[in-house]
Amino acid sequence: MSKRLLSVLVAALALAVALAACGGSSDGSGSTGSSAGGGSEEAGAPLVGAGSTLVAPLMSKWQSDFSSKSEITVTYGAIGSGGGIEQITSRTVDFGASDAPLSEEQFEEADAQGEVEQIPWALSGTVPAYNVKGAPKDLKLNGDVISGIYLGTITSWDDPAIAKLNPGASLPSTKITPVYRSDGSGDTYAFTNYLSTVSPEFKSKVGTSTQVKFPTGVGAEKNDGVAAAIGQTDGAIGYVGLAYAVSNELAMPLVENAAGAFPEPGVKSVEAAATAVEDIGPNNEISLADLPSTAKGAYPISTYTYVIVPLETEKAAEMKKFIEYAITEGQSYGTDLDFAPLPKQVIAADEEAIAKIGS
Amino acid sequence: MEAGTLRNPVLRARRNLTDRIGDPLLRGLSGLAAALAAAVILGIVYEVTQLAWPAIQEFGLGFITTNDWNPVTKRFGAAPFLYGTVVTSFIALALAAPLSVAISIYLTELAPRRIRRPVATLIDMLAAIPTVILGLWGILVLGPFMRDTIQPALHGVLGFLPIFDGDPSAFSYLTAALILTIMATPIITSVIREVFETVPGDLKEASYALGATRWEMVRQVVLPYSRPGIVGGSILGLGRAIGEAIAVAQVIGGATLINASLFHTGGTLAAHIASQFQNSAGLQKASLAYLGVILLAFAVLVNVVARIIVQRGRIKDVDSGDLDLSAAATQAQPS
Amino acid sequence: MSADPHTLLLDRGNLERRRRVNRAVEAVSIAAAVLAVAVLVIVVGSVFLKGVDALSWHFLTTPTALFGEAGGGISNAIIGSAIIVGIAAAMAIPVGILVAIHTTEFAPPQISHPVRFVLDILNGVPTIITGIFVFGLMVEGDKQSAFAASVALAIVMLPIVARTAQEVLALVPGSLKEAAHALGIARWRMTVRITIPTAAGGLITGSLLAVARVAGETAPIILLSSIVGQGNLTDPGEALASIPYFIFQASESPKPEAHTEAWAAALVLIAFVLALNVVARAFYARSRNRMGA
Repeated sequence: MSKRLLSVLVAALALAVALAACGGSSDGSGSTGSSAGGGSEEAGAPLVGAGSTLVAPLMSKWQSDFSSKSEITVTYGAIGSGGGIEQITSRTVDFGASDAPLSEEQFEEADAQGEVEQIPWALSGTVPAYNVKGAPKDLKLNGDVISGIYLGTITSWDDPAIAKLNPGASLPSTKITPVYRSDGSGDTYAFTNYLSTVSPEFKSKVGTSTQVKFPTGVGAEKNDGVAAAIGQTDGAIGYVGLAYAVSNELAMPLVENAAGAFPEPGVKSVEAAATAVEDIGPNNEISLADLPSTAKGAYPISTYTYVIVPLETEKAAEMKKFIEYAITEGQSYGTDLDFAPLPKQVIAADEEAIAKIGS
Repeated sequence: MEAGTLRNPVLRARRNLTDRIGDPLLRGLSGLAAALAAAVILGIVYEVTQLAWPAIQEFGLGFITTNDWNPVTKRFGAAPFLYGTVVTSFIALALAAPLSVAISIYLTELAPRRIRRPVATLIDMLAAIPTVILGLWGILVLGPFMRDTIQPALHGVLGFLPIFDGDPSAFSYLTAALILTIMATPIITSVIREVFETVPGDLKEASYALGATRWEMVRQVVLPYSRPGIVGGSILGLGRAIGEAIAVAQVIGGATLINASLFHTGGTLAAHIASQFQNSAGLQKASLAYLGVILLAFAVLVNVVARIIVQRGRIKDVDSGDLDLSAAATQAQPS
Repeated sequence: MSADPHTLLLDRGNLERRRRVNRAVEAVSIAAAVLAVAVLVIVVGSVFLKGVDALSWHFLTTPTALFGEAGGGISNAIIGSAIIVGIAAAMAIPVGILVAIHTTEFAPPQISHPVRFVLDILNGVPTIITGIFVFGLMVEGDKQSAFAASVALAIVMLPIVARTAQEVLALVPGSLKEAAHALGIARWRMTVRITIPTAAGGLITGSLLAVARVAGETAPIILLSSIVGQGNLTDPGEALASIPYFIFQASESPKPEAHTEAWAAALVLIAFVLALNVVARAFYARSRNRMGA
């Protein structure tokens, strides 16, 4: 009996050690342990991705629809674009999602384990939503005012600069609390890209990136966190993905675009912005921050969001199927979730990029 | 005692195979386990330092005093977070230590015997509340209460002080410090209470015999006798506060600047690492690991010093002959 | 005991003031204790009151809904937490007890003191750092998994299990061990069949408390098991949902429904942790009698 007890102890310890050994060793491929998952082998390997919270509402629809149509499960962690870039760079996930295109340096780091490419697969916008008791709906703002707010030079809602844009409106004297993303965020990229384009002062003082140092304001994590902070603070203004502003019923201002117009933020004005910029940059990067002055109905803080995927991957077949789905069938879910459909030239460029995967 | 090897050759020859294997086997296995523990701690130090290496090379020791965290210019420093950690932890200590002494006085001197155990257990339970739940409560209950009631009151009365100057905010150094106080108090209390209970009764009686009031007795006999325990317990609570990541991350607001006002948002070493590590790459990630190195050194140092002081205080006492299930023994790990 | 010995007091005229100071201090002490208990009641009460409405059979048996959709629950988080904590306990408890056996039975002081010191250090390591360690060891270059989270939690549990096991094993009466040795019983046999069973109550208690401690751990989970798939997954090689992470995420959401779900999940977690704590302590109190023999 005692022999048995001892051997049980030894066996338990050995089991623990063995589990540690087999769990800890990385065999280079990303699909260890997937065989124990729910699906059958013919169903295709599961895809794991992480990143942008902007695309998360749409991704959610894609996940459930795609898995029922193709038997490939897609797991997604909305941890922010910065997180998505990091995770795909270290290959802890199969694909990364980011609203911010990779910089040269980031490409270098990601390419260290094999070339990656970025493919724009959805289109939406970032909105500086606000929550101010007593302020009018459809408050008009422009780039100078918004940068002033985030630089700390405009501190109350009844500032003359805001009054000038909204003649006749009664503005409360509430203090402005700017809310920003404290994590690595594609929305921050889109927002700061826009502000750097319209305000040289903002460009030199803060700059454009997924994570910047704002001189003032309150930080919150992820789109959800910013939306929560805005909703809880009277006088707050914060930039969130369009889908979040709409679903949380936050007041959205009318932002002046390069044509001097104040289009309503939404699918239509985002679409107008995308149509106005036909050129596709290197690595499929498309910036919508510098819109031509002819684009009257274009929303000035629109942004594409990208999937970042390695060219060499064991899951090439599944990956291609998923991205193909996303840019075609998947787009149909977009309108309800405040995403504009991809323009034709982008879809064409995407098809070319998809073909390269696994080659 | 020697490990079961018998000197008598007759008896030794009669030991069966199981025993001959069993003894060295158990000794070996348990030794392996002990070595594993040591290997883990070395592994932790090695791994975190290795991850931090690019930042250590880039910034050197100046990192500790650099007051900047700018992902665009790639200039990172630990100062804002050291400031946040020190401010929140020391405020928590300043609030929790006297509170714990008072609670311990109640538990050992004033409480009716029947309710001593239950009340002590209740206070230990406070330490058992998972940090994420305290953080949830902090975000949804304490924070708004601070913003709407406490901070305006402090501002109204003491607003001339820079630490109470500024607009009320639910997410602030002060809210974080209060949450840390809630976490540290049961730990400090359990140590102090234990030490108070070992004060020799005759010393106390002598004090009373000389006409002391209860408070005077405590002040003259119990407190001086318990000084190592009070100091050690307080430092143990401090260690918990320094390393706390989750609840602080939930209520402190994630700023990367130093600000004199306690109402302002801020950041601590542990909280900043917890919220940013997954997001970052390259030099920023290494800088976060560098913050981790600093945090690890700080937290371990404080914890070890605390335990040494408490152990030293204990040697004076009779062995309690009982298992220590107090908060200090089981909940002191910062999370 | 010691009644107020005012019969022996020399009347220096400041007796009234001293009495008043004494009463003030006593009032402060009582207030402090009341405050501490009040905070406990307020926090646990808040969790209960705000979470009990959302708590339902449906909530406990349905997995988390997709992003933005309502009507989900925490069944996947409960399963995931059970698996993660279960594997962690299976690793930490035997190893912790073995470490304790080594320091109490086999090791000379030159070994047992450093080992105790190592355990003290391990106890002071913030769990976020443990998370970074396991991340670098197991996730970087590979992927997240519940098993990695278990390893991190096992590291957190180890010093707690080892420390309480050490204390309990040391309390086993020397007379028992002497008797065993006099009868010529081998050391391993004595440890396994006498020492451990005698100390079993305390060992179980320490293990239960360690489990209660890590059931609510969040920091390592953020780094090691946060990108999780839909549905009630059970493969430890994949990242699994967990209750603390669910609460953490829901707490940062802008939607009131998410907050209610967070409170409900918190209620489940707190009930589990507090129950374990109470059971562990009560269990030990009862089994203490065996040790006194």
